[in-house]
Amino acid sequence: MRLALLAGVALAVASSAAPPAGQQRTITLPAETAAYVRSDLPGYQLVQRNCVGCHSAHYVAMQPPTSARAYWDATVKKMKKPFGATFPDEDIAAMVDYLVKTYGAERTNAGR
Amino acid sequence: MATRRTFLRHAGALGAGALLAHNRLATLIGAQGRVTLPFDNGDRELVAFPGKRPLIVLTSRPPQLETPFQVFNEALLTPNDAFFVRYHWSGLPLAIDTAAYRLRVTGKVDSPLELSLDALRRLAPPVEIVAVNQCSGNSRGHFSPRVNGGQLSNGAMGNARWTGVPLKAVLDKAGVQRGAVQVSFNGLDQPPLGDGPDFVKALDIDHARDGEVMLAWQMNGAELPFLNGYPLRLVVPGYFGTYWIKHVSEIQVLDAPFQGFWMSSAYRIPDNECACVAPGTPPAATKPIGRFTVRSFITNLQDGARVPAGREAAVRGIAFDGGRGIAEVAFSADGGATWQPARLGTNHGRYSFHEWTGRFTPAKKGPIELKVRATSRGGETQPLEPRWNPAGYLRNVVETVKVTAV
Repeated sequence: MRLALLAGVALAVASSAAPPAGQQRTITLPAETAAYVRSDLPGYQLVQRNCVGCHSAHYVAMQPPTSARAYWDATVKKMKKPFGATFPDEDIAAMVDYLVKTYGAERTNAGR
Repeated sequence: MATRRTFLRHAGALGAGALLAHNRLATLIGAQGRVTLPFDNGDRELVAFPGKRPLIVLTSRPPQLETPFQVFNEALLTPNDAFFVRYHWSGLPLAIDTAAYRLRVTGKVDSPLELSLDALRRLAPPVEIVAVNQCSGNSRGHFSPRVNGGQLSNGAMGNARWTGVPLKAVLDKAGVQRGAVQVSFNGLDQPPLGDGPDFVKALDIDHARDGEVMLAWQMNGAELPFLNGYPLRLVVPGYFGTYWIKHVSEIQVLDAPFQGFWMSSAYRIPDNECACVAPGTPPAATKPIGRFTVRSFITNLQDGARVPAGREAAVRGIAFDGGRGIAEVAFSADGGATWQPARLGTNHGRYSFHEWTGRFTPAKKGPIELKVRATSRGGETQPLEPRWNPAGYLRNVVETVKVTAV
């Protein structure tokens, strides 16, 4: 069977003209499902405070579990400069410690 | 014959919603589901975002959504509701008034422009092109050693028919002045915090005026899905998606190369012939990423599929490159020991997915490695061993699908 260039369902709208003028388009994004893994490490509270405002926890959770401390350190610092996050430098060490021990090469919860 | 990817699994029994779904994929996975991409830590949710069927969630905020690979076996043009989504900042627009929308053209031009969508559409006769858009980091999750960043499998790509006006017509209307070297593009999406670098990209002036780079308002004959850049996006045929600015609102003609973060620090590849380095090592020099490398995929059979021994089986897939067009596709049913030419389907242009088909007959029961390798009209072909670079871009190794003859 050869591939049809376009599925029939999509063809039904193929004759529609350019977008109508004067129309307000809005979207509502689905509820967020990802959350940081709970931990007694002090960095857990800090990532809740410092990271959640800008992006979902997916960015952290999807990284290869082999990700070393140096990666997490560089990435947390990148969020400040150049990306503009405003958390204090004093938070960095604890955030990195939580991230590498929860998601990275120093994980103890290997069954995650 | 399409075989469902074996790692796809149901979250539960198919519900009534799935029975009403208008496409086969939704029927397979239900309204919600999960997939496991074939690399460590590859467990992902499938969620339906606005204008989209359930897609693989890389990140929900900002939205980064990957197309389930089975979609590429459904049609040569990727349906709009299945087309991948990639944002950099969570400050994306959630409401757009098409009447108030303006495209500003400024910088080294004789007449700065502020165009409404209607004015833009009246500027020149509309043009159409079928072109692949592919994320620079498509397939990053398959790198070995692994590379940090968006952990994508092979679904951050899609092929669509784009309708719009040539960027050249807009630049000509503004009147590009002598000394212009680049053109930068900005869209409505913004960093969530004031100091973050806005997502702005640049093209060389000759590229911007090549007549093919387009400001598009339609995709596959319908308006752009909101999350693919409604109401207007840049289309840069043959180039990675990083240049295809969404919700494009500002074009600036520059008399010096653009120095923003997303050109000078991010989206860079090793500046050598293979754009690769020894795994784990830094490049001596880098340059901005540009055109796609040549790629090909088998789409109708996935890892773990079973084919009958002693009977002829059909295989098919897609190939594409950065704009020279596909010259030939070779297919192997014995792990690369021998290769046979595949038959190429209808040519929809040198920027489109190009369908290929082949046949093989398993002599006996047991495992079989299927491989496919495309060669462009420029002579570029796919490497048998993967090339590596620190950002995980440009993956184009010969793909292997492991099936079993039974």
